[in-house]
Amino acid sequence: MPLTRLVLVSGKGGTGKSAVAAATALDFARRGHRVLAIDMLGQAGLAAHLRSSKLQYAPTEVRPGLFAMTMSRSDALDEYLKVQLHVPHGAPTRQISAALAVLADTAPGVREIISIGKPIAEARTGKWDVVVVDAPSLGQFQSYLRAPRIIAELVPTGNVRRLARRLEEILLDGHVTSIQLVATPAELPILETTEAIASIKDDKLGPKPMVALNRVLTESGMAEPDLGLLGSGPLLEAARLQLDLETEQSRWANALEHSVTLPYLFGVFTPGEVAEQLADRIGSPL
Amino acid sequence: MTSTVVVTGAGGVGKTTLSAALGAAISLRGASTLVLTIDPAKRLADALGIQELADTPIRIQGAGDMWAAMLDASASWEAIIHRYADPEVGRRLLANRYFQALADRFPAAQSYAAGERMAEYIETKRFDAIVVDTPPSGGGIDFYRAPAMANDLISGKLLRWLTGSNLPGRGLIYRFTAKPMLRLADAVLGGPMLSEVTDFLLDLRTMHDTISVRSRTIESYLRQATTIVATTADPTPIHETRRFFSELEGIDIEPRAILFNRKLPHSWLEAAEYPIRGVDDPAIRARAKANLRSWASEARRQSDAADEISARYHVPVYPVPWTTPPPQTLDALRSLVKDSRIVEDLGL
Repeated sequence: MPLTRLVLVSGKGGTGKSAVAAATALDFARRGHRVLAIDMLGQAGLAAHLRSSKLQYAPTEVRPGLFAMTMSRSDALDEYLKVQLHVPHGAPTRQISAALAVLADTAPGVREIISIGKPIAEARTGKWDVVVVDAPSLGQFQSYLRAPRIIAELVPTGNVRRLARRLEEILLDGHVTSIQLVATPAELPILETTEAIASIKDDKLGPKPMVALNRVLTESGMAEPDLGLLGSGPLLEAARLQLDLETEQSRWANALEHSVTLPYLFGVFTPGEVAEQLADRIGSPL
Repeated sequence: MTSTVVVTGAGGVGKTTLSAALGAAISLRGASTLVLTIDPAKRLADALGIQELADTPIRIQGAGDMWAAMLDASASWEAIIHRYADPEVGRRLLANRYFQALADRFPAAQSYAAGERMAEYIETKRFDAIVVDTPPSGGGIDFYRAPAMANDLISGKLLRWLTGSNLPGRGLIYRFTAKPMLRLADAVLGGPMLSEVTDFLLDLRTMHDTISVRSRTIESYLRQATTIVATTADPTPIHETRRFFSELEGIDIEPRAILFNRKLPHSWLEAAEYPIRGVDDPAIRARAKANLRSWASEARRQSDAADEISARYHVPVYPVPWTTPPPQTLDALRSLVKDSRIVEDLGL
């Protein structure tokens, strides 16, 4: 049986992470793969980019071969108890579920493991060729990757621990899991992405992340001396901005190795259009 | 009285830079001003002429009476425990392995700590104006919800849920950890996690009275503050701005203005339509014209977005020009918000 690929997409807030996750899912679906896209935070960003009004916990088909769903804490919790933990028949599930909900709000790793457990469980069903996850932004994303290990440390025995160990194995398996970080060529996104890559590597949280550089300007072909010929006014001002941005962007683009470059989209209005246009350009990174 | 400005908005729109710019512009008017920020870029520290920001305010040279401080969330939580908890409970809490986790990852923890810090500085009366750059969690909305959320956590809402009873005293814990349900839960989960968490929550609950008074105080400061929403024309910030206005309405907070960052001049729209004169080289002329057209389409998109949110929410939109690289001097920082006259209009 061919393996399902699990693609986790994260990045600094504001870099277009959900758009790139949607574009990745669209691109796989266009190539004829059966794809599940998961919005892990339930914040509607992914839905808008897939032109879907609202996503449910149950996967719905948004394009031929492309299914999408959103995480819901209470549904994921119930499912975790029943399907993953195999709570014994006749046990007071409702109360245990309430207890687990309290734990999820308080104990480290519990909420994260329930959330990261869902895409992994979907990947293991064999129903999908690819599961694309619109994951939380960098800081929170790392706590998700760390969660299985934290749980294994906190819980000495039992099902939760076994489950956590299995999740950790899958996250570390480069044949199954890939991590894609979205950055824009500017100071903070590049520095924060660099730090995240280092801690994913140093703490062995997952396979080496790939970087997609988003909103990269196409070179205008203009040069500094040309500016002197443009007089004053908008023609000069726009040329000045373009050249300054080209300089700034290339400085930060050179500071971080990246495998995908996505263009700055001029005058594109809706999230749906953004995702479609990025999908045209993304070229499957796998 | 200290006047407080809260700058909020989605991640990546330049909130920290805009907060510093507002602070610099306000201090220019002779007010003693503190900028309270979260995690500033190295370049911003450079622009302010300091090595790096610290938890205690540092005076900014050449900026009148301007100060800047950074917020360290876990240090703030320790301070909160020291201030409000009984010493013995405090020691137990700080040693509890759930405490650090809570301070680091309870989504509103950093936001609550930021609110506490803001309240402290307001109460010292040391500054005429405080500009607060909000933590990005929850798209900035957590900053407003954090006092209520912290109160929920500490008031024992979780405990009540957990035990199915009214708030128990410390002595009762043994009675309910003996409940079959909890024993079963611990057995399923594979450890004494639930009992430990219960213990922790009981300790936390001893701070209930002080924290609940405190969170009401913070909420009232937030309602008195001038809230400014920062955005850019990108789809995510625009989406967050809409969400922001609808959620803030629910908690009785009305933003006074929108700072629209990286705004392109309106004049580019028309200019792109006119023929170009005075550029002799046809190749350069073609490239410059194509470039202006691209940016004009961007200016069009921005101006539509700005008009739409301004009309929908009845707030003035103040444009902030797109400068790149970001401001590297105090003057550059100040001039970011100077032309918009937001400081004068809002009487900051």
